[in-house]
Amino acid sequence: MADTFTIHLKIWRQDGPDKPGKLVDYTLDNVNEHMSFLEMLDVLNEQIVAEGREEPVEFDYDCREGICGSCNLMINGRAHGPKAMTCTCQLHMRNYSDGDTIVIEPFRAKGFPVIKDLIVDRSAFDRIIEAGGYVSVKTGSAPDANSIPVDKSVADTAFDYATCIGCGACVAACPNSSASLFTGAKLAHLNRLPQGEPERKRRTVAMVEQMDKEGFGDCSNYAECEAVCPKGISISAIAEMRRNYVKAALAGDEV
Amino acid sequence: MKLDSKVPSGPLEDKWSKHLKDIKLVAPNNKRNHDIIVVGTGLAGGSAAASLAELGYNVKSFCIQDSARRAHSIAAQGGINAAKNYPNDGDTIWRLFYDTIKGGDYRSRESNTYRLAQISNEIIDQAVAQGVPFAREYGGLLANRSFGGAQVSRTFYARGQTGQQLLLGAYQAMMRQVHEGNIEMHTRHEMLDLVVAGGKARGIVTRDLVSGEIRRWMADAVVLASGGYGNAFYLSTNAKNSNVTAAWRCHKRGAGFANPCYVQIHPTCIPVSGDYQSKLTLMSESLRNDGRVWVPEKKGDDRHPNDIPEEDRYYYLEEKYPAFGNLVPRDVASRNAKIVCDEGMGVGPTGRAVYLDFADAIERDGRKTISEKYGNLFEMYENITGDNPYEEPMRIFPAVHYTMGGLWVDYNLMSNIPGLFVAGEANFSDHGANRLGASALMQGLSDGYFIIPYTIGNYIADADIDEIDTGHEAFDEAAENAQQHIDKLLSVKGDKSVIDFHRELGQIMWDKVGISRSEEGLKQAIREIRALRKEFWENVRVPGEASNFNKYLEFAGRVADFLELGELMAEDALHRDESAGCHLRKEHQTEEGEALRNDEEYAYVAAWEFKGVNGELQEKLHKENLEFEFVELKQRSYK
Amino acid sequence: MASFLQALKSQVGRKILTGVTGVGLIIFIIFHLATNLQVFGDVHAFNEAAYALESMGWLLYILEAGLAVAFLLHAYVGISIWWRRRKARPRGYEKYQSKGGPSHVTWASKSMIFTGIVLLVFLIIHLDTFKFADPGTVILPGGGEARDLKALMLATFQQPIYAFGYTAVMILLGFHLGHGFWSAFTSLTMKHNRYSALIYAAGIVFALLMAVGFLFIPLYIYFGGGCEAALIQCQ
Repeated sequence: MADTFTIHLKIWRQDGPDKPGKLVDYTLDNVNEHMSFLEMLDVLNEQIVAEGREEPVEFDYDCREGICGSCNLMINGRAHGPKAMTCTCQLHMRNYSDGDTIVIEPFRAKGFPVIKDLIVDRSAFDRIIEAGGYVSVKTGSAPDANSIPVDKSVADTAFDYATCIGCGACVAACPNSSASLFTGAKLAHLNRLPQGEPERKRRTVAMVEQMDKEGFGDCSNYAECEAVCPKGISISAIAEMRRNYVKAALAGDEV
Repeated sequence: MKLDSKVPSGPLEDKWSKHLKDIKLVAPNNKRNHDIIVVGTGLAGGSAAASLAELGYNVKSFCIQDSARRAHSIAAQGGINAAKNYPNDGDTIWRLFYDTIKGGDYRSRESNTYRLAQISNEIIDQAVAQGVPFAREYGGLLANRSFGGAQVSRTFYARGQTGQQLLLGAYQAMMRQVHEGNIEMHTRHEMLDLVVAGGKARGIVTRDLVSGEIRRWMADAVVLASGGYGNAFYLSTNAKNSNVTAAWRCHKRGAGFANPCYVQIHPTCIPVSGDYQSKLTLMSESLRNDGRVWVPEKKGDDRHPNDIPEEDRYYYLEEKYPAFGNLVPRDVASRNAKIVCDEGMGVGPTGRAVYLDFADAIERDGRKTISEKYGNLFEMYENITGDNPYEEPMRIFPAVHYTMGGLWVDYNLMSNIPGLFVAGEANFSDHGANRLGASALMQGLSDGYFIIPYTIGNYIADADIDEIDTGHEAFDEAAENAQQHIDKLLSVKGDKSVIDFHRELGQIMWDKVGISRSEEGLKQAIREIRALRKEFWENVRVPGEASNFNKYLEFAGRVADFLELGELMAEDALHRDESAGCHLRKEHQTEEGEALRNDEEYAYVAAWEFKGVNGELQEKLHKENLEFEFVELKQRSYK
Repeated sequence: MASFLQALKSQVGRKILTGVTGVGLIIFIIFHLATNLQVFGDVHAFNEAAYALESMGWLLYILEAGLAVAFLLHAYVGISIWWRRRKARPRGYEKYQSKGGPSHVTWASKSMIFTGIVLLVFLIIHLDTFKFADPGTVILPGGGEARDLKALMLATFQQPIYAFGYTAVMILLGFHLGHGFWSAFTSLTMKHNRYSALIYAAGIVFALLMAVGFLFIPLYIYFGGGCEAALIQCQ
């Protein structure tokens, strides 16, 4: 059987949006190397509930297979923990050893206000998509799927950008709290496809403006977002977003 | 409860077009006077909300996640079927229909399943127009693959993330309508009750998961698209928050629950490693194209798999099913894995796993080829288990994946409660007793994009909807009911955790209402579930308070509902004294150990009517007979 | 046109402005370094180069005005980005570290505001020391009376405070350019996965060249002893 070991945790506890918060120390003695990081927190919560002294730690999760984008922890100062191309839910305790101390904080940004403990409100991302992250095609009005051929490499690249899971790690890890990678990824997905072309300029301007309004910081090309992105989305998306934005602005259409 | 399937008459191919011709329309400027509630934002709910809003209705959309984009449809890997016949391999709407109804072991409605096949092509058109980046050939046209043992290549896919891409398409269409002001989006809201006033579904009661506030919402029709109930088993491939609560509370308000015992168990998942395990991860079925499934022939053989010589290995699928080998359908593969493990040949620390070995494939095609095909899956496996599948066989075991049962609906996807429509996995309609691979996405989107938007108009145009408001006594009653349920959960203050109850229920379900079932086991399961439910209400510990974010409270409510549903599932499995699709009764097997149907007595949909719960769950059985006018019922054989 | 100005105020616009002005400043410092290195040339080379520039008349004023605008805009936008950054995360992390890999979170990139402000202050001192000083004049061989900037430079850098102060600032300039060069490419939308690493490396090499080129002169003069120095010819 796998060995169990001890982990020390420092977890951000905050009762509500406007309440003060602080790091609270916990120790878990029965951590198993096969546990996922979130299962380790489940075990901690069971321990807290059994002791009955305080409320369990709230954190977001859902699919636990790295695709829904719900989980969002800052683990020892890194979004989603130490491993590249990995979501918090796919991080396993075998990456830690006996006696380690792990600091867990929420994703911090003005655009992501804390709801409780480690849970933040990421609805700003929905509003960015709402501003233009779609192709305006009504149900039923589509032509035959094969009527417009799409260069395979274009489709593949569009897919790479479309794999964004909207977790917000890019914002959390960015020293400026910029949402440029999230916004750029959706733009890079839709703008390069023939289906997305007619709305390219309008979409780009609208989404960039919304991103501004939500209070996210500017992109200073740190590329930390790319490093923490569980899907490894490239910041080339951001360069592309800027290119399309400038083109739209120069053309003066609907800016 | 009256079950009227409202299937239009006439030839199978013409039923839907005839129906479309006959249904009533709501005038464009009148649509904005009608509110429609859509619960759930997965493929079915998202596509329904977007399409209804495009038509001009006022849509109120609800989801429990923090964003509509996180619904569990996002996790579907494989693909979506359509009868486009782009590869020119002889696929037709009829063939897709036939495969689906046969795959479901003839326990679905012909008319619904045929319509699904008809609509499949439009879904692909719609998704492509939305910018869904499906895989393409070098010529720029869409690529197809064969999936789940189908004899034609009809599956469209976006690498291993087809569900994600289709869901984002629907989500984006929804967000466009939010922007237009046609959809009012409510995230982190859980539906806790259905409001039925004047015999019609008129609204819902939700709990705001952030503030804890109980809120009332009124509409002219309610679309329930809240997904399946696989989490009754505790461990499943479903997301942690997937639950039956919304559907179950509708059931308690009078909606029939159909075929609850039909649960699909997926053969290739990563096995359980310990009791802390919170969910099971699916590995794409495509792995069985190259991997060979085996167990050591000797019981309790604890040698490392690489040290077990060929002659001591039992390739049970290849030996039992020489024609299909490792590619037998999901239910057959799952059942056989259980059989060998029950016989003591299982591997791994728990003995509940079998090997899926790529050594031969790697030797034949080279590591590079295998890595190109399955590299991401191998990485995922290694990430979770710490073992390298290039060096040693994977360990896999079946896991609960999809539930074919759900709320009963007619041809219009309306439940027996007028005004309550049910879409996607939440309804029972199209898959019978077993769902084929790449059909779930097809059904969710077909319901949401192309069926409900029409049939709901027909209902609204025709229904005599009273003017009421959220102060109506039906709203008061539902809101009080929801509040009382929460208060009751918090007042028990026992000392056993919600998760422990859920885990115990899951164990009962898995052992006795799982891959294979028997009369004796099911009866015992019912007794055990009742006892567990009793204990739950006496001894559950729900920490925290109602007026705040409280995930334990959310889960407690869901587990309470699973504890009732579990009994109904066992009851349904017990009453269905035949084997069909995923429902295998040990008493009814062919000589080869296959599911043996009893078409004489059980070719019907079992729709259960809730009568109360008082120690025992009281449910009344109603039958909708399945008539097969167009297909001939055959015994499946994969020998 | 109004809409274009509007666009310049957005996040993307600000970054484009930073990039465009940054490129302008990069071109300027390349010229500046090339001019400075004339100090190692012929006796009069340095003063001649300066004289040539000053003889450009109104054209020089335009160039200088452009440069001033670029510099001020660059600083203004830089400071506004920093200001927004503070507002965008009102509460910082208790613990933060880079994940490495493709990340360019380095001391250089995180300190752009610091190195930038140092360069701004430096510029004021630098202009006061050289541009607006009166070093006396010298008659060039080709005729013409030029400011004797070479003498001023030699005198200035024999003072340790200037020699070492300039050296320190030039090291910071190197860091600023190290991130700035690569960043300008990305800001100006010239980012391609295939060339990304190459551009980043080129940026570091460029930054190194500039920093070493600039700091070489004061250090050489200080340690070499001005006109006594082997490479510098004085009258």
